[in-house]
Amino acid sequence: MANLEHRSPNVLLQSLCCRILGKNEADVAQQFQYAVRVIGSNFAPTVERDEFLVAEKVKKEMVRQRRETDAALFSELHRKLQSQGVLKNRWAILYLLLSLSEDPRKPQSKVANYAALFAQALPRDAHSTPYYYSRPQTLPLSYPDRTSSTQSSGSMGSSGVSSLGVYGLNGPTPTPQSLLPGQTYHIAGVGDALRHQLGSRFAWTMSTAQPSSSNTSKGLPNSITRSSSRLRREGELSCPPDVKATLVRDILYVFQGIDGKCIKMCNSENCYKIDSKVGISKSLRDTTSRLAELGWLHNKVRKYTDQRCLDRAFGLVGQSFCASLHQELKEYYRLLSVLHSQIQVEDDQGVNVGLENSLTLRRLLIWTYDPKIRLKTLAALVDHCQGRKGGELASAVHAYTKTGDPYMRSLVKHILCLVSHPIFNFLYRWIYDGELEDTYHEFFVASDPTVKTDRLWHDKYTLRKSMIPSFITMDKARKVLLIGKSINFLHQVCHDRTPTAKMMAVTKSVVSPKDAAALFTDLEGAFQEKIDAAYNETSKYLLDVLNKNYHLLEHMKAVRRYLLLGQGDFVRHLMDLLKPELARSASTLYQHNLTGILETAVRATNAQYDSPEILKRLDVRLLEISTGDTGWDVFSLDYHVDGPIATVFTRECMSHYLRVFNFLWRAKRMEYVLTDIWKGQMCNSKLLKSIPELSGVLHQCHILASEMVHFVHQMQYYITFEVLECSWDELWNKVQQAQDLDHIIAAHEVFLDTIISRCLLDSNSEALLTQLRALFDQILEFQNAQDSMYRSALEELQLRLAYEEKKKQLEMEGEWGETEQKAESKRIHEFQQLIPKMCSQIRVCSHFYQDIVQQFLVLLTKSSDESLRFLNFRLDFNEHYKARDPRLRVSLGTTRGKYSSAI
Amino acid sequence: ITHREILEVNSIRERDKGISRLLNTGLDMESLSICVRLCEQGINPEALASVIKELRKATEALKVRSIHLELE
Repeated sequence: MANLEHRSPNVLLQSLCCRILGKNEADVAQQFQYAVRVIGSNFAPTVERDEFLVAEKVKKEMVRQRRETDAALFSELHRKLQSQGVLKNRWAILYLLLSLSEDPRKPQSKVANYAALFAQALPRDAHSTPYYYSRPQTLPLSYPDRTSSTQSSGSMGSSGVSSLGVYGLNGPTPTPQSLLPGQTYHIAGVGDALRHQLGSRFAWTMSTAQPSSSNTSKGLPNSITRSSSRLRREGELSCPPDVKATLVRDILYVFQGIDGKCIKMCNSENCYKIDSKVGISKSLRDTTSRLAELGWLHNKVRKYTDQRCLDRAFGLVGQSFCASLHQELKEYYRLLSVLHSQIQVEDDQGVNVGLENSLTLRRLLIWTYDPKIRLKTLAALVDHCQGRKGGELASAVHAYTKTGDPYMRSLVKHILCLVSHPIFNFLYRWIYDGELEDTYHEFFVASDPTVKTDRLWHDKYTLRKSMIPSFITMDKARKVLLIGKSINFLHQVCHDRTPTAKMMAVTKSVVSPKDAAALFTDLEGAFQEKIDAAYNETSKYLLDVLNKNYHLLEHMKAVRRYLLLGQGDFVRHLMDLLKPELARSASTLYQHNLTGILETAVRATNAQYDSPEILKRLDVRLLEISTGDTGWDVFSLDYHVDGPIATVFTRECMSHYLRVFNFLWRAKRMEYVLTDIWKGQMCNSKLLKSIPELSGVLHQCHILASEMVHFVHQMQYYITFEVLECSWDELWNKVQQAQDLDHIIAAHEVFLDTIISRCLLDSNSEALLTQLRALFDQILEFQNAQDSMYRSALEELQLRLAYEEKKKQLEMEGEWGETEQKAESKRIHEFQQLIPKMCSQIRVCSHFYQDIVQQFLVLLTKSSDESLRFLNFRLDFNEHYKARDPRLRVSLGTTRGKYSSAI
Repeated sequence: ITHREILEVNSIRERDKGISRLLNTGLDMESLSICVRLCEQGINPEALASVIKELRKATEALKVRSIHLELE
């Protein structure tokens, strides 16, 4: 096979001769020489090199032979051949095959072969009857069947010469002579032109003379012919031939949208009309108006392209749509020019009389059948695409490819390929270079130039929904958006200038219309693969850069440790250090003092081992001060984020973090306060044993304190384990599996939302949060009450001890201080008077506290969150509150039922 | 020539063959491939077609003649 590849035409020709004649090389010398001569003298083809026209001819031929399935098969094969694009001269091959084709319905009979043999004896003139017409550029005017039958006596070995073969081999092609050995070679001379001319005349007269039966009826009146001859004759015979000729001529003009002599555009009715003065029959009128439709369709398409061609805002997609329409119109004009030249030839030769082969309206009707379908499709497209541009236009065209008619579909597909080509170009520029060269806003990715780089990921690029072509799914469009966005993000925010070629293996960024066509055949496969590959590579690269160069995950962990109080030793130490500062009024706080304390806390704890990159971002922030606030209310930790990291930790995110921090800080403080309370109780209880009057109060204090401790512990447990750790684990898993930055951002947002809502910070739990605040306040109040109680108790204790001391001293001195004893008993009495007051104070405190807890629990039962209802169960583990409040007595199950029925 | 090209060429051959069969040209595989090559080299297909037809005619005539000779 390979050795055949590069052989010269002569060698190939020789082997062809051998092959066909079935002889070896030496024996075919004569024929070979002949072949070389014929081919050498006809280097340029005389018919137009148009693959499409030839293919159409083949199809028509097949349809004519009633082989529609074969025609479909042929178009399929032809299409595949086109798509492969290895052969350059497909036109020539098709043409050759067509020239050689034979009608399979007519079996090659031996008789015909004999006839061929006998024909040699016939006179030269008959033999050379030129079935090769000398007419330039003609359409198959004569019916091939008839031609072949008239010429079967001629030199034709095979009977079914296709119509194209007949008209195609025309002009200077020398009449091939028989190659029979022994015969002299008659090589077509130069002076054959005249003979051709004469010959063609002869052929004309021959063929017109053939159907003599119909010609005889020419002079007869209508009524008779109608019954005897076929209907098609009727219209043409009912009017004088010159009117018909004018009509044909007019129609040819109308085809181009130019008014003819008697066929004119009627503006009021928007259609072509025959001048009513011309007296022609109704059927002829019908035929004419059917033909005129072509002109109307042409006008419509033409008008659209003319309008749009100059409209620069119409964009690239629109322009390529116009170009494809133009291309189709060009084909159409080509046909018209052939028809025109046909008429021209007829005029020159004055053969209008030859009805059989001349142009008639009826013939035009047949020949323009296919162009009409094409134009109709185009006109429908134009209608449908009116007012659309860009991706929308492509969608509109794409909608038309979903037709069952393979002819129409291939036409529209071709247009769609051209139309979508700019879109694919945009797309590849975008996903491979991240560049958006969309001057006319046709692409489905829109960019907002006003957005600064810090919001680039979130706001800069959006999908233009209307511009997504219907052959690109929403999912794909999103991926495409993401790919380009990632590239831009890398370039502009991460300042990573790695060329995209390094990010991914695929680098091709220019497409030809052919590629676009190939993409359409494999929209689900190769195209999807390309996008997926680009998506995967880009996203992976982006995440790599974020993790390695910008330590995204480290920052995430750091935020968790510092803002969400994950680093316990640090938080505890910080609170220890801050306690004296924060107890003061908020207005007396200074940021620099607090920052100093923060640094001390960092240095003293395990936090010091964190990377300086993280620690330097840690800062103190004071919230807005309102009157009466203490330092505790306004203090907050802050974590500075900037650059690419800020895309994940947006400003909203950070404000969420601040709220959560405040909540956690408050809860932590309660724990801290209760620890202090407990410490005080432990220390003082031994000391105060010597004052038995106090035991009742102290007992009350202990009970209340342990109640509070239980509550705060349960709260802390809930926050740590059920809120933070669970959500964090979820977030971490998601981040590890994330495929692109959007996944991380989404996971992070979900994480924050969960924390916010479970920490009762969202709008649904406002009531709960107020109760919780009140509860915390109650704890602080209790601390104050207890502190003041202890203070006075300890004072009293001290006085008593001092008195005892003094008494002992006086006794030793042997004196008895009457006055002092009196004063002492009076003071003790006063103190004892004080005890009920303390007692009631504690009782009030306890009462309030319990009320608030009860409220809180009631609210918890109403909550939709399951974990909160479990918290309720844990807080009231001994069912103390359940006993107090009937509302708490409903079981968990029924509450849930109630809740869902409420919805 | 890579494997892929060979595959492609083969598939093109199949299609040419298919079209040729549909059109009933009577060319066998080898003649067809020769013709395709000639066309690819820019030979005028009109002339080529006429040559092939003539060659065929010649073979037919030869056959007939030989039959005649036998008969005689």
